[in-house]
Amino acid sequence: MKHLRQDSFSPLTLGLFALVTAATLVFCVCTGSVSIPLSETVRVFARALSGRAQENTSAASIILNVRLPRVLCVLLTGSSLALCGASMQGLLKNSLADGSTLGVSTGASLGAALAIALGITLPGIPFAGTMVMAILFAFLSLIIILTLAYRLDYSLSTNTIILLGVIFSMFVSSILSLVITFASDKVKNIVFWTMGSLAGSSYLNALVLFIVLLICGTILLSLSRELNAFAIGEANARTIGVNVRRTKLIVLITVSVLIGVCVSIGGSIGFVGLVTPHMVRLITGPNHKRLMPACLFGGGTFLMLCDLVARVLLRPLELPIGVVTSMIGAVVFVIIYAKARR
Amino acid sequence: MKSKLKRFRILSLVLALVFVVGMLAGCQKAPESKAVTITDMTGREITLEEPATRVVALSAADCEVLFAVGAGDTLVGRGEYCDYPAEVLNVPSVESGYETNIEQIIELKPQVLLMSTMAQTEEQVKALEDAGIKVVVSDAQDIEGVYQSITMIGQLMGKSAEAEKVIENMKATFKEVADNPALSGKSVYFEVSPLEWGLWTAGKGTFMNEIAEMMGLKNCFDDVTGWGEISEEQVLERNPDIIVTISMYYGEGPTPVEEIASRSGWENVTAVKDNMILNLANNELSRPAPRLAEGAKMLYDFVSGASK
Repeated sequence: MKHLRQDSFSPLTLGLFALVTAATLVFCVCTGSVSIPLSETVRVFARALSGRAQENTSAASIILNVRLPRVLCVLLTGSSLALCGASMQGLLKNSLADGSTLGVSTGASLGAALAIALGITLPGIPFAGTMVMAILFAFLSLIIILTLAYRLDYSLSTNTIILLGVIFSMFVSSILSLVITFASDKVKNIVFWTMGSLAGSSYLNALVLFIVLLICGTILLSLSRELNAFAIGEANARTIGVNVRRTKLIVLITVSVLIGVCVSIGGSIGFVGLVTPHMVRLITGPNHKRLMPACLFGGGTFLMLCDLVARVLLRPLELPIGVVTSMIGAVVFVIIYAKARR
Repeated sequence: MKSKLKRFRILSLVLALVFVVGMLAGCQKAPESKAVTITDMTGREITLEEPATRVVALSAADCEVLFAVGAGDTLVGRGEYCDYPAEVLNVPSVESGYETNIEQIIELKPQVLLMSTMAQTEEQVKALEDAGIKVVVSDAQDIEGVYQSITMIGQLMGKSAEAEKVIENMKATFKEVADNPALSGKSVYFEVSPLEWGLWTAGKGTFMNEIAEMMGLKNCFDDVTGWGEISEEQVLERNPDIIVTISMYYGEGPTPVEEIASRSGWENVTAVKDNMILNLANNELSRPAPRLAEGAKMLYDFVSGASK
């Protein structure tokens, strides 16, 4: 049994991952649509940290008000989505499971769009109404898909779940289109909900993402052992003493919260949750004790790089981030899949 | 001398005869002259026996032109996005663009369908022509094109004089706002979609760009072609003197102008510092219609009023 071995990462390895992620973060903050010399970037940060007034105001605004909050949001979204993907793939013993393939993200989008269209808000807290609705709908989507899947095919085979996910996704997208048509004045952009965008992210967004990831991430990471058991099979998990029902429920709720929050802030960004765990597994192997923390760093790094491409490829134009993740993600996925088959 | 006079007489007689015959022919032709032949903006020639009295117009701009030339009462159907002038909302609406529904249009029994080149397929056009509906395409890409489409629609409706007048008015307004030295060199950023949905701007080849250039303003994003999603960083870097947003305000939350002014990092943009943000929310500057002139005037008044 693998999980009896001392198998989590050593602090050194974790430090190395953190270093790579941090380096990517710095690189993404220093590069962008507008070219700002590195020395200027350093000066902006030095002045900001020491509380002195900025000289070159446009550079300071760009770096501190536009780029940094956005890159932070991208990092946190990427980490969250990758962690969700890894958890669901383990829990369902299904290498194709992910928020986007199961239709959870689409469900969350529908919830968020409905909240905006109907003007559902929680007094006092900005964008909380959207977020709560997105979370609720994400959770409902998961429950619907899994209930249907259990009914149709108790073994929860990959094909059944994916097929149901795709069908559910299409169904929900059609309702989403309907909502957008009826409330086109408020819920403007279908591209936002289907391709995602983290343009215009604020520090507040980053803070919310951070707190949610901190709580949900801790919960999911602490369930690594149970996920290992699930990855072998639900029956196996039961025999070795995992409370199957409870674990499943906790993972599903946590994943719903993470996806719901991410979608309400950045729209639904596909492929990150699906592809990152596969890429990370090439390095870490299938053990969730290693896979999960590595996904945290891998997902963030992957999405930051994708966002960088979205920002600079066609400058001054910008691409929706989902276009980049889907393009890179699909290719990477096919390569990994083909290699695994061989 | 005499023969010369005689020759002159004969000549004048012949001329008079030609004249009379011509007049007669003209008289004979007169009942037919109600027939209208126009060439639409894809180069297709269309002949109507008389000016159209039942029209369906799919694009918002064509509806506006119809009303502007005084033929609004001939409209029996409109595209769903046509919203100006307010009377147009009383006309039954049909689906347009990619959802264009041929059956809906045929049911309204128009003589003419006015549409733009955007989304209709050749099969759709053929199906309409088979149903006896003349399809007239307007496709204005610049102000000159707008004049052309107004002239065309005027002819089609037997309202050429009115159309001429509309064009003259537009030209007069444009002349009034053109090339004010006080404005020249100022930079303007057109915001088509707000930050929340990703910033979109209007670049080269748009009416906004053409009007900005006419007024001597410089469009910050004239290196973008058409409408495009741009990076927020770029706006801050290019630091526009004037911001024009075409976002609509729905009566809750901050207005589009307040929203732009409150964006973090934008406080150092000249337009925000000088409070030079204009909201043109009713498609004045985005539709190939006579109101382009009004939009230009509003922009001009805003900019020149504040620059005093």
